[in-house]
Amino acid sequence: MEECTKKTVTAWGPSLMRLTGAGVALTTVLLGSAWAQDQVEIRIMAVDSYAKSWQDNLVPKFNEAFPNIKVTIDATTGAEMLAKMMLDAVDPNPVYDIVLADDPWVPQLAEIGALKDLKGPEIAAMTDPGYDWDDFNATPLAAGEWKGGQYAVPVRSNMLLMFYNRELYQKAGLPEPTPALTWDDFFEQSPKLFLDTDGDGNVDAWPFTTFFSRDVLTPTIWQTILNSNGGQLLDENGKPAFNNEAGVKAAEMQKRLIEIAPPGALGHGFSESLQAFRQGQAAVMFTWGSVYKATALDATISKVTDGKLGMQTLPVGSVSGGAHRGIWNAGIMAKTQHLEEAWTFLQWLTSKEGEQVNVSTVGSFPARKSTLAGEPPQEWMRPVFATLQQAYDVAAEGKMWRIRSPKSDATQQIQADEIARFLAGQATAEEALNSAAQQIEGVLE
Amino acid sequence: MADLTVSSARPARTVATWNKLSDLTSRWSFMLPTIILLTAVLAYPLLYAVQISFSKFDLMTFGPGDWVGFSNYIKVLSDYRFWDSIRVTLVYLAFALPIQIALGFGIAYVINAPWWGRSAVRALFIIPLVVAPVVAGGIWRMILDPLWGLMNWVLGLVGIPALDWFGDPNLAMATIVIIDVWRWTPFVVLIATAALLSLPKDVFEAARIDGANWWQTLWMVALPLLVPVLAATFIVRWLGAVKMFDIVLASTFGGPGKSTVVVNLFIYQEAFRSLHFSESAAMAIIVLVLTMIITGILLGLSRKLEDVQ
Repeated sequence: MEECTKKTVTAWGPSLMRLTGAGVALTTVLLGSAWAQDQVEIRIMAVDSYAKSWQDNLVPKFNEAFPNIKVTIDATTGAEMLAKMMLDAVDPNPVYDIVLADDPWVPQLAEIGALKDLKGPEIAAMTDPGYDWDDFNATPLAAGEWKGGQYAVPVRSNMLLMFYNRELYQKAGLPEPTPALTWDDFFEQSPKLFLDTDGDGNVDAWPFTTFFSRDVLTPTIWQTILNSNGGQLLDENGKPAFNNEAGVKAAEMQKRLIEIAPPGALGHGFSESLQAFRQGQAAVMFTWGSVYKATALDATISKVTDGKLGMQTLPVGSVSGGAHRGIWNAGIMAKTQHLEEAWTFLQWLTSKEGEQVNVSTVGSFPARKSTLAGEPPQEWMRPVFATLQQAYDVAAEGKMWRIRSPKSDATQQIQADEIARFLAGQATAEEALNSAAQQIEGVLE
Repeated sequence: MADLTVSSARPARTVATWNKLSDLTSRWSFMLPTIILLTAVLAYPLLYAVQISFSKFDLMTFGPGDWVGFSNYIKVLSDYRFWDSIRVTLVYLAFALPIQIALGFGIAYVINAPWWGRSAVRALFIIPLVVAPVVAGGIWRMILDPLWGLMNWVLGLVGIPALDWFGDPNLAMATIVIIDVWRWTPFVVLIATAALLSLPKDVFEAARIDGANWWQTLWMVALPLLVPVLAATFIVRWLGAVKMFDIVLASTFGGPGKSTVVVNLFIYQEAFRSLHFSESAAMAIIVLVLTMIITGILLGLSRKLEDVQ
């Protein structure tokens, strides 16, 4: 009998273990599938320059608070991004729930009904009472507005700013620039900023660099000069108002900048000018503020580290200093099947707390007044915050942004073509601006 | 007897017709998958582009909207930027193609002579072909940069002052031609090498016995025999070169000014940056028609050359 029991136990032992194992496995699968059923995936289309960094750093922070919302961020190249967004928006079953749109794209997307109004009743009903719309600076928030609707919210603010190399200014025996620096001061000082830093008898550092190549962002320099002198691209009737003396003066001033830039500057785009500045080959650079962190801190790619880098708004014209708005906004696609989850993510990201996380984890520039007025999470951000607030104010005063229209990109391309013709000496400033005005008027009609 | 002839002729005709039909069916059945595939991937997009070019592009549906007749074509044909881009493309083709053909056949003729490093040189020539055009454009942009590029440093060693490759309109076009020649000459070399190897050896032997020197052998024997291959290579390269886009995008962005805005870059910018899809489609159709006409002329000339042979 005992033997029999032993045999029975021996025979049943493995079976019991198998049964228990199967039970545990089944329970895990069931629980897993139940959890998977609860988890909702939202997809975001973002530009490739920061999509991965957001996926790796921001999304895990969000999932600490909202583990049941899976966020997938797809990287897309900037050049075709608008067309892809529009194509997805008209699809009966769009892939994306949220899109990250560049500054001038919101009118184009809103006009075709691609985006939800974030202040509309549907989303307002889901919005946390503590979510403070009024805390946003008006300048970045306006990038997401179109015809009275708020179709997107700033998630990565950027401004065209003036970077300067303190070491080169010291070597030239010049005072460090301040936001009160005028264009006249700048050009007056520039001859002293042609420097031979290694003493071999050849100039190896030049006064200035920026992007001059035939690109849609190149006219933003011209426009900023125009705006700081009180000029505007369009008049109150929406007609071109730049083909005049003020426009010509601004264009000629932009061309003057080439004369104080390193050899080959006319062919230099964003990357080449940034490289020249980081290698200590230019005392001043006009570029987008978002490159500040790597330029100021990363000694493996920049020689302007250890406090050598300064940043401020562009020189003062006859009316004000200069800046140009370049806000990346996030909007929710009108056909999303996951509106609640999409707004949960976006609301978290752009809330006061979320913006702090966005700033501290991936170094995005903030748009909220409270963030800019508060204690920066990292020391390097202190000068950035001060300059950014100043730039928002200057941009608001001079309406320093690209044309707000569903045809904005087309008008920008025309400016790029014509300004490039002028800078290359293929047309006079008057010819280029008249041609641009004529084409832009046609496009806006 | 006569009846018998008639009755036996009828089935024979039926059989012949049946055989013909069956042959035709089997031939078409082999071709059908290709026809379906080509229709799906070539004819449909082409016809869709034609449709868009005659419509107002509706961004609300992201598709062709109202029929507008030839207005997109008229708009494009009256746009100075389109004609400028055509002119730029023709300038590029006028320099790049002859240089590639001449250089390709010249190099092939030189490396065809038996010497110890011939195989290695041939293999090295393939490298530019396998480099992606965007990468090639980026690399050359670095090499030719006036501030830190290798080329100006090398020129400086032999006393030539630094050149502004991307800032001077003429040099920028030269840059595009240089990159394209670097990339595609090896292709011509490969074809020319194969053509040279297939030439009858007895003709060269006869030329040698007759006392022809190196130049006479090249000019009076090799070149006439190579004319059909030269013409075919030119047409193949013409069809490739007329699509020039990516190298320009990666190296000069079309600048400085408008000096390297080839027509495909202009079409791309109008479509994907300005969202002028209808006008872009009209331009693409115009370019397609022009390309077909010029290709037809080149093919005709090529046949005439072969006939002369």
